[in-house]
Amino acid sequence: MSDKVTLAMGAGGRQTAELIDKVFARRFQSPLLTADDAAVLDRPAGRIAMSTDGFIVSPSFFPGGNIGKLSVCGTVNDLACMGARPRYLTCAFVIEEGFELDKLEAIADAMAATAAEASVTLVAGDTKVAGRGQVDGVFITTTGVGEIVGGATPAGANARPGDAIIVTGDVGRHGCTILLARDDFGIEADVTSDCAPLWSSVEAMLGVSKNIHVIRDATRGGVGTVLYEIAAQSGVGISLDAASVPVDPAVGGVCRMLGLEPLYLACEGRLVVIAPAEEAPALVEALRACPYSQGAAIIGRVTDERPGWVVMNTEVGTQTLLPQPGGELLPRIC
Amino acid sequence: MSGEQRQTAAQIIQSYDGPHLRIMEVCGTHTHENFRLGVRKLLPPQVDLISGPGCPVCVTPVGFIDEAIWLAGHGVTITTFGDLVRVPGTRQNLADVRANGGKVQVVYSPLDALAYAKEHADEQVAFLSVGFETTVPAACLVADQAVTEGVGNFSLLTANKTMPNAYAALRDSADVFLYPGHVHAIIGTGLCESLAEQGVSGVLAGFTAKELVTALAVAVRKAQEGKPFFVNAYPRVVKPEGTPAAVALIRKVMEPVDTEWRGLGVIPQSGLALREAYQNMDARKKFDMPHIEGKPNPACRCGEVLRGVCKPSDCPLFGKACTPLRPVGACMVSSEGACSAYYQYGGDLL
Amino acid sequence: MCVGLSAKVVRVQDGMAMVDASGARREVSVQLMDDVEPGDYVMVHAGIAIAKITDEDEHETDEIMEALLA
Repeated sequence: MSDKVTLAMGAGGRQTAELIDKVFARRFQSPLLTADDAAVLDRPAGRIAMSTDGFIVSPSFFPGGNIGKLSVCGTVNDLACMGARPRYLTCAFVIEEGFELDKLEAIADAMAATAAEASVTLVAGDTKVAGRGQVDGVFITTTGVGEIVGGATPAGANARPGDAIIVTGDVGRHGCTILLARDDFGIEADVTSDCAPLWSSVEAMLGVSKNIHVIRDATRGGVGTVLYEIAAQSGVGISLDAASVPVDPAVGGVCRMLGLEPLYLACEGRLVVIAPAEEAPALVEALRACPYSQGAAIIGRVTDERPGWVVMNTEVGTQTLLPQPGGELLPRIC
Repeated sequence: MSGEQRQTAAQIIQSYDGPHLRIMEVCGTHTHENFRLGVRKLLPPQVDLISGPGCPVCVTPVGFIDEAIWLAGHGVTITTFGDLVRVPGTRQNLADVRANGGKVQVVYSPLDALAYAKEHADEQVAFLSVGFETTVPAACLVADQAVTEGVGNFSLLTANKTMPNAYAALRDSADVFLYPGHVHAIIGTGLCESLAEQGVSGVLAGFTAKELVTALAVAVRKAQEGKPFFVNAYPRVVKPEGTPAAVALIRKVMEPVDTEWRGLGVIPQSGLALREAYQNMDARKKFDMPHIEGKPNPACRCGEVLRGVCKPSDCPLFGKACTPLRPVGACMVSSEGACSAYYQYGGDLL
Repeated sequence: MCVGLSAKVVRVQDGMAMVDASGARREVSVQLMDDVEPGDYVMVHAGIAIAKITDEDEHETDEIMEALLA
């Protein structure tokens, strides 16, 4: 077998079977994953949540993860945000001709490990190979099914004035990691992506509160974008304490260098949680006991003032708006 | 300690009860930080904080973007600070050019633009050199280096400006200038001192919340005393003599020329152009560029905003046809432009 | 007009210095500075050091306020 992915490996013949066997099947082993046309699954009791997401990231490997890990975390976390325990996952690959096989194996390794950690089973997959230049390395689409645990599902429209706003860790690390990995600006820093499966954090929260109003994972657009979305969906104002937003010092340094706002850098392992203020301390305590939310903190509250807007309480004791999200992040020098 | 002291400085600002006072934040970064850090909210109603001309993107005429687009259209790779990418030219901006296949490379430093040129010997590479005294030394450094090393595929499209004659042109627009800390880190404080002798007051300010609040406290307190003054409230960075090596480098590479400031018109000897010995670095000459006249949107009131004659929200386009995502005027596109900062940080809303 | 970054000099070689701002590092030109040594703080703009500085704004604003209120 060649050490690079070839068009023949995507043609559906013997070489395709070899690729699937060598790279995917042996890593994703499960009684549910067969060579048949569809997975046949037990139906979970109660309601299910279902979500799909496409992943493109350049570079495909970055400190703290790779596109494989990302593709599992992304969908698993979307399910978790609905209060759903992730159960089944499918994955579809579009691979660029010439992509190195050992990289593909590393990606599959990461997917298998992350899926195991998140207790989700990979039940079906698809592999296509596209000509050189038609995709950038590898694109992955995952679809997940989860079972809704407990009663009410959290939703973006459920935030109520008086609620507390919690973020489950420091913000902007994934976006900063990718920006540094692209090496466009000659900046180095010891920053790793926050990419992580978050069901364990959500499960811990559901254990202490039946009354969580909103859970959102802050991915593209970062925490700032999520807060504006919630403010609009719930028709509420959001009041944020600038000083209590956790930011890794090195991420802060990179942002100051380039004039960027950490609240708008992508995360891949951070939740924004909105719940009644009296339940917030217990939620934070439960989150801090979980591996991927040890840095959980209350960063603000929901208000009935200025619906649709996110207001920052500044270090000089005044208020200003968090600028609305918009467009490509461009470094600012002047 | 610092909390207590900042309170004191903040209280001085909040309790100002003197006559109407116009403070001009000359520097766009001051505009941005005063909004972002919420410092403006400390000011009592009779103190106006006017955003001055110190946003290089805001005062760069439309024609400059058209010139850059002309270069890209002639196969030249454009290297630029991120700030300029979304600035509207007469018909398009550099993001449109990039989407249509033109080469536009965002850089952090002119040093990176020169490095890009060296790594891409088969491309002609032009750097969009905007900025004031703070930014000019970096551009001069790479122009000098490119000439010394004989880098033949690199050039500058210049629109650099200097502050001294702009202060003179704006002296009636403000009662106190909040001087731009990093410009004076280069040129020193001599000019501010001589302006004070001529009756023009000012405070040199840093950029942290503490530094800005302190500088504004100094401004309102001293203004109330009624005598012209100058205070360097940023001595940890700005020395009286500035950075002589930077001033010498600018003199070596560039010479003063008359130049147009968007909204302010031509201010004599307030621009910088490459000297004769650096003509090979001048993109306009190198590519035999025709004269390009930009056409700004006639409804845009950026010019009056820059002079403090009107507030951003007085412009008919503000927040309607002109927003940060679809800017019409330069004051909306640059994140330190007065209109953008006003819009983004809720100038009217809060 | 001039986003500045205060950063600590980590090493210096041939007119270039590696500077560090809370863990973010980058090479910048220090050609316009005389005598920059590791441990010094500089103000960086657009990839060059434009001034040698002290990193502490606290102390300085205290002094300015004292002078103003004296």
